[in-house]
Amino acid sequence: MPEPIVSVRALTVRFGGLVAVKAVSFDVAPREIFGVIGPNGAGKTTLFSCLAGAQRPTSGSIHLRGESLDGLAVWAVAHRGLVRTHQIVRPFREMTVADNVAIGARFGRGRRRGADEKGRVRDILARTGLGARAGSLAGTLTLGELKRLEIARALATEPDVLCLDEIMGGLNPAEINAAMVLVRELRDQGLTILLIEHHVHAVVGVSDRILVLNFGERIAEGRPEEVLRDPAVVAAYFGDAPEEAAL
Amino acid sequence: MTSKRALEAAGMLAVAGALYFAPSFLERGTLNDLWSVALAVVLASSWNLLGGFAGQVSIGYSAFLGIGAYTTVLLALQGTPPVLTLPLGALLAAGFSVIIGYPTFRLRGPYFTIATIGVGEAVRVVASSLSFAGGASGLRMPAGSYDFESNFRSMTLLAVALVWIALAISRSAFGSALSAVRQDIDAAEALGVNSTRLKVTVHALSAALVGLAGGLFAINFQYVSPGSVFDFRLSLTIVLMPIVGGVGTVAGPVLGAILFGWLQLKLLSIPALLSSSLFIYGALLIAVMLFEPKGLLGLVRRLWARRLRRFYIDA
Repeated sequence: MPEPIVSVRALTVRFGGLVAVKAVSFDVAPREIFGVIGPNGAGKTTLFSCLAGAQRPTSGSIHLRGESLDGLAVWAVAHRGLVRTHQIVRPFREMTVADNVAIGARFGRGRRRGADEKGRVRDILARTGLGARAGSLAGTLTLGELKRLEIARALATEPDVLCLDEIMGGLNPAEINAAMVLVRELRDQGLTILLIEHHVHAVVGVSDRILVLNFGERIAEGRPEEVLRDPAVVAAYFGDAPEEAAL
Repeated sequence: MTSKRALEAAGMLAVAGALYFAPSFLERGTLNDLWSVALAVVLASSWNLLGGFAGQVSIGYSAFLGIGAYTTVLLALQGTPPVLTLPLGALLAAGFSVIIGYPTFRLRGPYFTIATIGVGEAVRVVASSLSFAGGASGLRMPAGSYDFESNFRSMTLLAVALVWIALAISRSAFGSALSAVRQDIDAAEALGVNSTRLKVTVHALSAALVGLAGGLFAINFQYVSPGSVFDFRLSLTIVLMPIVGGVGTVAGPVLGAILFGWLQLKLLSIPALLSSSLFIYGALLIAVMLFEPKGLLGLVRRLWARRLRRFYIDA
């Protein structure tokens, strides 16, 4: 594996007596699509919150391009090139779609101004298929459009690493296909993508490698087809294999 | 769009011009009323920069008015001219806002609001116990420090300037970041907005403007005491004006300030109503919350839309 862009070591997050993430380690290579799956409560979103700086880990480390992200605020992590989208969409509802994206262009890593900013916003809206809704208030969008707006705003900050939290949840099959195409395009444009997804078919279809979490622990990691055959993964999703005698 | 802005600029210049020359053709009583309304506009619009645009509701704004007023009174007693005491008061108010901003802006929503009440009260108590500031009985300005016309012009032009500042901010990148912080602070931070620095900055700007008004307040009334400038009811009124008028807009706080300024003058002239002013303000606040959360401005816009509809559809 080439020099990793994201490097997580022995990451642990404890909420009182509950261990949400338990000593998780992994590396992500530049321009990789890295899927994170696991049953509800496996610690996926907590892991993303740590990466983005929104949640302080109890112990362990996160490095971006070899630089520690320890103690950085969310906006400072964004300025270093790692952003996340939210599972529950969080648009600025009283702003237009274009203004939502402009916040990322102005205050993210690129710090665009004036015509440069406008061009950047237009470009991103076109790439995410929101060009026609540029002037609409974000509060009037459909769920599919809101999910794309989350991605558009994150892209506007000009990240190297994009952490997408459940961007396909609640979408119809056509929208899911469009989202998979978009994720691949973004990678082809040079981004590294971390992806949390409930929709196993979608993650398998798009990811280069997959990390499986269960009760905060890493139970498998590797290429999608290998991981899905792993007995520990099957057990986590479907329960333990039935005993021979019962057959 | 451009013609709309030209119209606004022309309107503000016209109002500023009329106010500048008002002392030569209006009666003293009317001018005093105008001064009071201008003060209300300054307080409401300044508060709205933080409370409306950025959504951080502070009930401690009398502290900034008081710091500005006390700075002017204390320095005037040493013989310093207002040209120096007014900006210094603004600077000290801004400095104080930064000192209290860093710890309090860590708090969110109602917790921030409660902390600001505490800060405001603490400042009042401290001011009441400082012997060099006259303690609870306050300080009188030195004789000959009052020039009615320049004070009138300063306060009214400050009010017009505030409308201009609010308009400029609402259309700037800074303003859109404030709006983002108000709507969803976590999402704003995720997009790279340093929300703490943003809030501290707008707090300082708004505190400086209120501090400036505080200096003019001291000169106008020639007397400053903890009861007159550090009053909790004053802090409350500063919050009520923009909320009743239309919080987070440019015109709303101005409308609210004019209404409150007028009410205050009417109530002051009827002794029986004077003591119940807070009761009336409270009732007004409840009415706004229940029937028109967007304030008077929202009401005006709704009525205007209805009129247009009637004009085009029913006619």
